[in-house]
Parts: sequence; C-alpha cells; structure tokens
Amino acid sequence: MQFNDQLDFVRQHIKKNKLRVFMTILAATMGTAFLIVLASVGFGIHDTMRKEILDNRVVNEIEVYSDQMDESMAEKLKKRDHVKAVVYRQSMNLDSKTALDGFTGSPPLIITDFKEEEKVGFALKEGRLPESSNEVVVGSHFAELLVKEGENPEEPVSYKEKLIGKQFTYQMGFYEEKELFPEETKFTIVGIAKEPAKDWLQDVNFYADATILPSLNQIYQAHNEDEESQLFYGNVKVYADKLENVTRVSTALKDEGFSVYSIADQLEQMDVFFLAFKAGLVFVGTIAILIASIGIFNTMTMAVTERTREIGVMKAIGASPKLIQRLFLMESAWIGILGTVIAVILSYGISFIANMVLPIIVSAALSEEDLGGVDVTFSIIPWQLVLIASAISITVAMISGWRPARKATKIDVIQALRQEL
Amino acid sequence: MIEVRELYHSFKIGKKGKEKEVPVLKGLNFAIQKGEIVSIVGRSGSGKSTLLHILAGFLTPDRGTIMVDGTMTTSFTESERAAFRLATYGFIFQNFQLMPGLTAFENVELPLKLSGVDRVSRKEKVKELLALVGLTDVQHHYPNELSGGQQQRVSIARALITDPPIIFADEPTGSLDSETEQDILLLIQSLNRARGITFVIITHDDTVAETANRIYRMHDGELKEGGVTHAI
Ligand SMILES: Nc1ncnc2c1ncn2[C@@H]1O[C@H](COP(=O)(O)OP(=O)(O)O)[C@@H](O)[C@H]1O
Ligand SMILES: [Mg+2]
Repeated sequence: MQFNDQLDFVRQHIKKNKLRVFMTILAATMGTAFLIVLASVGFGIHDTMRKEILDNRVVNEIEVYSDQMDESMAEKLKKRDHVKAVVYRQSMNLDSKTALDGFTGSPPLIITDFKEEEKVGFALKEGRLPESSNEVVVGSHFAELLVKEGENPEEPVSYKEKLIGKQFTYQMGFYEEKELFPEETKFTIVGIAKEPAKDWLQDVNFYADATILPSLNQIYQAHNEDEESQLFYGNVKVYADKLENVTRVSTALKDEGFSVYSIADQLEQMDVFFLAFKAGLVFVGTIAILIASIGIFNTMTMAVTERTREIGVMKAIGASPKLIQRLFLMESAWIGILGTVIAVILSYGISFIANMVLPIIVSAALSEEDLGGVDVTFSIIPWQLVLIASAISITVAMISGWRPARKATKIDVIQALRQEL
Repeated sequence: MIEVRELYHSFKIGKKGKEKEVPVLKGLNFAIQKGEIVSIVGRSGSGKSTLLHILAGFLTPDRGTIMVDGTMTTSFTESERAAFRLATYGFIFQNFQLMPGLTAFENVELPLKLSGVDRVSRKEKVKELLALVGLTDVQHHYPNELSGGQQQRVSIARALITDPPIIFADEPTGSLDSETEQDILLLIQSLNRARGITFVIITHDDTVAETANRIYRMHDGELKEGGVTHAI
C-alpha cells in the first residue's frame, strides 16, 4: 500500500469519529502544553539568573588570592597559557584626604598597571594615561566626592569645575589617629576614566601607576612602628583569553595552591543545578502526558474493537498484519503529532502572556517598585524544550497506541467475518 | 492448480479442561483444475466453510498439505499468507463483507490500494470492472444504499480487481432471492468463460451446485466427487 493511500485511510477513519479523536487530541495537547509551560519557567528563571550574574561581571575574569601575592607573581601569572591579562590592583588600608581648590574628600587611591587594564576594557572619557609617577587618572564620579561647605550648611556643594590639568594634594593617616601624616603628595589629573557600564555604578577612585609606590611607602614607614604591617594590599584578577578557557585556567591555578573565584565557576554550578531543576520539571510534565496517553490508549482500543469486522475483511483480502499495525500506529501518532503541534503553539502564547502580565502583577504586589531593576523573564521556550516535549509526547502516543495496534493484527479473520453488520 | 492431501481438522469445544474434540475434516484428498468451476455441496454444519477457510489460509489445518501451483501454502507464515491471498485469491462472501464506510467504487478499489497500484491505473481498472458487473450508475453509493444483488456484484468486482487466478465463493447467493441468484450465477459463469478464472463455490443448495463443471459432496467429514454436471 502506498504511503499516501495509508494516510488517506487514516484520515478517513479519524473523520468518522471526529468528536472522540478531538477529545483525545485535546487531552494530548493539555498534557504536552503543561509540560512545556512548566519547564519554560525553569528556563526563564535560569536565564534571568544568568543574566543577573553576567550583567555585573566580566565572564572570563578569575579572582586569584595568595598570601605571597606581589608584582613579580603577577608578572608570572601573565605568562601562563590562555591568559589575556592580569590586573594587579593595589590599595591602601589607611585613612586619607584629598584636597583640590578648597574642596576635600577621601576618594580611594588604586595603584594599577594601565597597560593590563586597557586590555580588559579600561578606557578614558577624556585626557590621557599617566606618563610620570605623579600623574593620575580619576574615576568618572571622582569629583562628586570632593565637597566644600555651601551656603546651606546641611548641603555641601561638590566640585563642578574642569578636572584635567588640575593638581590636588593627598595625605595619608591612621584611622585611629586624629591627625593625618603631615606629608602631602601632589598629583596632577591627566585623564578621566569612562563611566562604568551600569548606570548605578559609580567610579570615585583615582588611579596611579606603580612608580608612585616607593615615595608613598617612605611616608608610611616614617610613621609606622609595626615592622610587619604593609601599606598596600593587592587584588589580582586574571582574564582568560576565551570563556571556554576559564575553567582550564582556574583549575590549573587551584592545583597550584591559589585560591580562585570566577563567575564561570559559579555559572557552572548554577547550570548544573538548573539542569537538574529543569529535568525535574520535565519529569512532572511527563506525568501529565502519561495521563493523556490513557486517553489515547482508550480511543485506539475502541477504534480497533469497532472496526473488528473491517479489519477482518482487510486481512481476508490480503492486508498484511504489518500494514494493519502500521495503520493503527499512524492513527495514534497522528493524535500525538497534532496534539503536540497545537500544544507548542498554545505554549508560546501562554508564555508570551505570562511574561507580559506576571511582571505587572508582581510589581503591583511589591507596591510600585519594579523588581529592583532586575529584568525578570518568567517563561522561556527554547527550541530544545520544544524538541524534548515533542519527542516525549509523540513517543508516548505511539507507545500507548502500540498495544491496540497489536490487538488489531491478532484479530481472527473467521471470527471477524462472522460478526453481524 | 490446487492439490489437497490428507487434510485433517477438528475443533475443540466445551469448557476449558473438559474440551471435547470434534473432527470436522477427516483426511480429504482432492484436486481442482485450472479454469473450472468446482462446487462443494453439503448440509449445513458439514464442514464446507471450514475447508474453504483452510484453503484460503484463514485457518491452519491440524494435518495435511495444500499445494497451489506447486507452492505449499500450508507452511506459510502469516505475512506470506496475506501476500499470497492478495495476489492469488479473490473472495465472495454470503453477506458480501463490504466496507460500510467506502463507496462501491472505493470498495472495489481497496485490493488495488493494498497491492500498491498507483491512483491513475486504479481508477481506470475499477471503472472498467464496475461497467462489466453493471454498476456504473451506482458506483458512488455506499453499501447500505445498494440492494443485495448490487452489493454482491460489488463484492464480485472487488474479488476480480487484482486478476486473481482463483476465486472462492462461500454461499454467494445465500442472502439473495432466486431471481438475483440466477443473475449472479450467470455472471460467475461468464467470468469463468471469458477470463478463465477458477471458481470454488461452496453451497448447501443443489441448484447452485449445478452451476459447476464438477461437484464435490461433503459428508461426514469426507469429500466425494459427485460427477460432472450438465452446464447451464
Ligand atoms: N471455531 C469453531 N469452534 C468450534 N466448532 C466449530 C468452529 N467453527 C466451526 N465449527 C464446527 O465445525 C462444523 C463445521 O462448520 P462449518 O465449516 O461452518 O460448516 P458449513 O460451512 O458446512 O455449514 C460445525 O459443526 C461447526 O459447529
Ligand atoms: Mg458455511
């Protein structure tokens, strides 16, 4: 029998029992749509959390901690495989005061290597990078930290003038002591850093290069009694050349005794968790499909029983058992396929509406505030989910149609022909 | 054409555990030649249908062999039997056994569909046969819209459509009035003459049996040749 004739045959039988087939398809649709929508919540939450994490951080960044961290060790790190840059930033654990044109504040000083910083996206909004040891670049919000008493003593005014070319003084001191060290270091502003990517972040630091270290150290040691204590503490970030290499680099560092932390590690852990979570949701959804499959089993069993005589005639004429089985399997597969197609369309609709309506409801419940600037997606249906759900649904449909189809092949011709019309 | 040797069959009847074996066919030996009409006549319950079911492959005999054109059909598997039936046999039943959901045309077309013949050649062939059995006017009627005689013509056309060399007819006129019966028997004779198709007609009715070139009588599980009859 030609394939299109087989299709014809199946179509004719479905037409004869429209209502029953429709109800069965409806059940299959509901089961499959339930699975897809349920699992889509897992995908949605996963995606939202990934975005949250990735938004604030550079993905191929690995934070490295070590007791013996110093510049030479940072230099060594740079020579490793798959390392694009090593940013070694040093800051002080001291009180400080910065004064510019009568405006004062305590913006933190960060000592860094501008060449490495540039490799990982450090850029200037204005000016140039420092060329000598007393030149600095200031953060985009540096000026806001420099204030002077205004007309209203409650509201000090911040520095609004031009920064480039200006000189300011810098003093250090112990937090525990009232007076700062008398030595003043003069810095000249030569550049302003670009604003951070996120508009809620503020860069109030000022950046100098390592050539300033000896003179600052000298001032510090003059006042410091504790031989052990250090002025600077460092913070090292290693950047892998590619995201795929983050794990390799970080594992190698871990093996060598460094403490490491990377977003990629965190993402990996989260991905594992969500994989299990989604699998759980798919499993629960599959139960719904299994319930729907009882309907398919019923429908197909009834179809076979009703058509016993016709099947007998077909067999008598010369239809092979294989063909009979195929025709019935095609019928249950058709129910499964149609149910799945409708379910997929329906699920996309539900997902779309949920993503539109739920945030409104949630933010109303949380009294006007939107979700803290977090862009929440409740439901995402990736093609993989559609594929998984379709495979489960159609397979289950065919399995539940299998027994009735076998039953059809076993029908005894003589008994069937004896049935009254 | 068909050669039957030492064919035995019995049914088990009664409750499980206390079944009684009832022998129906007790060692049949006979042959059917190509191109003849053979009738098997006997009283109701004598085992005629059982014999036909075994010949057709609906039922496996307890013992014995059937050779059809040199092929031993008794050792076929289920699918081989189906394929062999499709190619070799046509069937005419007492109660027609048409598909209620198909029109006369579609019923006749069905065996061709099973054989995988393409649509265009199918239409051609069905039209030709419907004309031959005189049903062109009612070809798009469903079985329940046709008279008994018309339904039997549809089933004859269906039996003929794949050009099988052998057609089995089990009480082909059992549900028809005597006038229609004559029409159908004449049709069978003319098809036999025009196309050389072998017919095996099973009947309890002597007048129907007399249509045949040769008559076998079924009695007490045995088959005896009743001699050549006069052709009508
Ligand atoms: N499936 C069966 N189970 C038990 N007995 C059967 C079965 N089929 C037929 N018989 C018996 O076998 C005998 C022959 O039946 P059948 O071949 O139909 O006779 P006929 O066609 O000559 O009227 C009858 O006695 C009938 O009761
Ligand atoms: Mg009978």
